[in-house]
Amino acid sequence: MSERSALATRLAPLLLVVALAAALLAGLDDRLMLESADDATARAVTAAFDAMPDDALVLVGFDPDVGTYAEIRPTVRAVLADLLNRGATLAVVSLTTDGRALAIAELARMDRAEANPRQLIDLGFLPGAEAALVALARGIDGASQDPIRADLPSAPDLAVVIGGIDLGPRSWVEQVQPRIDGMPIVAVAPTVLLPELEPYRASGQLAALIGTPRDGAAYRAHAELGRLERMVDPSAGPSPAAILLGLLVAIGVLGQAFGSRLAAVMRAARPRDVA
Amino acid sequence: MSGFFGTAQADQIATWVAALATIVVLGGLLGERRVFGWSQHLLAGLATGFLALLAITEVIVPRVVEPLVADPAGRPELWLGLLLVAAAAAVPWLPRVVAGLPLSITIGTLAAFALGGAVVGTLLPQLAATVAGREATLTDTVVGVAAAGVSGLVLIGFVHGTPRGRVVSLAAAGGRWLMLAGLGGWLGYLLFSRLVLLVDRVAFLVGDWLGLAR
Repeated sequence: MSERSALATRLAPLLLVVALAAALLAGLDDRLMLESADDATARAVTAAFDAMPDDALVLVGFDPDVGTYAEIRPTVRAVLADLLNRGATLAVVSLTTDGRALAIAELARMDRAEANPRQLIDLGFLPGAEAALVALARGIDGASQDPIRADLPSAPDLAVVIGGIDLGPRSWVEQVQPRIDGMPIVAVAPTVLLPELEPYRASGQLAALIGTPRDGAAYRAHAELGRLERMVDPSAGPSPAAILLGLLVAIGVLGQAFGSRLAAVMRAARPRDVA
Repeated sequence: MSGFFGTAQADQIATWVAALATIVVLGGLLGERRVFGWSQHLLAGLATGFLALLAITEVIVPRVVEPLVADPAGRPELWLGLLLVAAAAAVPWLPRVVAGLPLSITIGTLAAFALGGAVVGTLLPQLAATVAGREATLTDTVVGVAAAGVSGLVLIGFVHGTPRGRVVSLAAAGGRWLMLAGLGGWLGYLLFSRLVLLVDRVAFLVGDWLGLAR
């Protein structure tokens, strides 16, 4: 590699960051409105929330991971605010350490936003991953004497699962749903989990799934948060212009790599001149 | 965007610390390895400290110590658990048969839950929804059968060391390629998620820290 190309390789990430910052400042997001896309997901989530009884108890499985939480954070805050605004009580439980750390931060945030503390139940951290989910389901179902049931005023009417790479909605569908009848599951998950979760939405095992920033933006545009609007940053949500630019750069890099490889193969296949 | 409320001094300090940490990590992209290494140590230390705190305050004390103190004879499963922990800690001094017991129980339990859940919660409901569902259309059925076929091909792809005919070998190769295609697609989704994370961090620097894009 020549000195010039080495310098270019070194500076490329900086140029990408500067280009993303420029895209953020260019004010193009108003023209690239994600929320104007198909709102079927937003309607499915709203329908699931509408089907809850008054003063419902919602079990919130809070297990995002720090590597992907930035993508779903605005939507998660909107979902929590929406549920609180509907008068639901949220029982928050985490089964991963990442999830617990983020749950503590979000509970503190809700407290600072003056959410009604009687609508929040912190069930804490349950170790054991899949086994803990089984214990949780049995405790809720009354099949075991797990202390978690004593912290709940009644059986949950809905489960909202905030998923991450370590433990997500798939585990809830596999371990909790077969053990608790009649508790629909609504999931919020990063895009990376979409391929594994889409079949559950299609089969109805998930009542609703917000699995992309576009779905999240459409839901946030529909949600009525009332006085809890302050829990959701109005400027939140990933910038569509910056994402578009980043994807174009990624496609360009992949194209350049593929083109170089193709050119090398073509050169190797060409008959060589005999000196 | 980062979640810091208000303009109190503590919020501003938190924003500055987060901004400096973000710049240090982004500096790793430009080849600044020493400070980036420190930030990695900081992250590892914080994560370990948090894990220890979580284990003590939310698991060991409330779920083990307190129940045992309150009713020592009424919780035999906790004593059994403590015995397994002791066996795991004393592995170098125990016979192999005894030393392997805690790990075997852990792996066996997790595998049993995962496998049982996959069959009861995924495989059967998915097949029922696509192939045998009342509302399943011809397309759904074809998709369901194809998905089951792909799963079979991938499984065959993992079978090694057994004599194969031409058809099985072709099926296994097809399964491997389908799995690679699936992994490629998944990496595309992963790239998107990571890109959103980078955009979020840049937006934090430009908006929350510099106050330019709010």
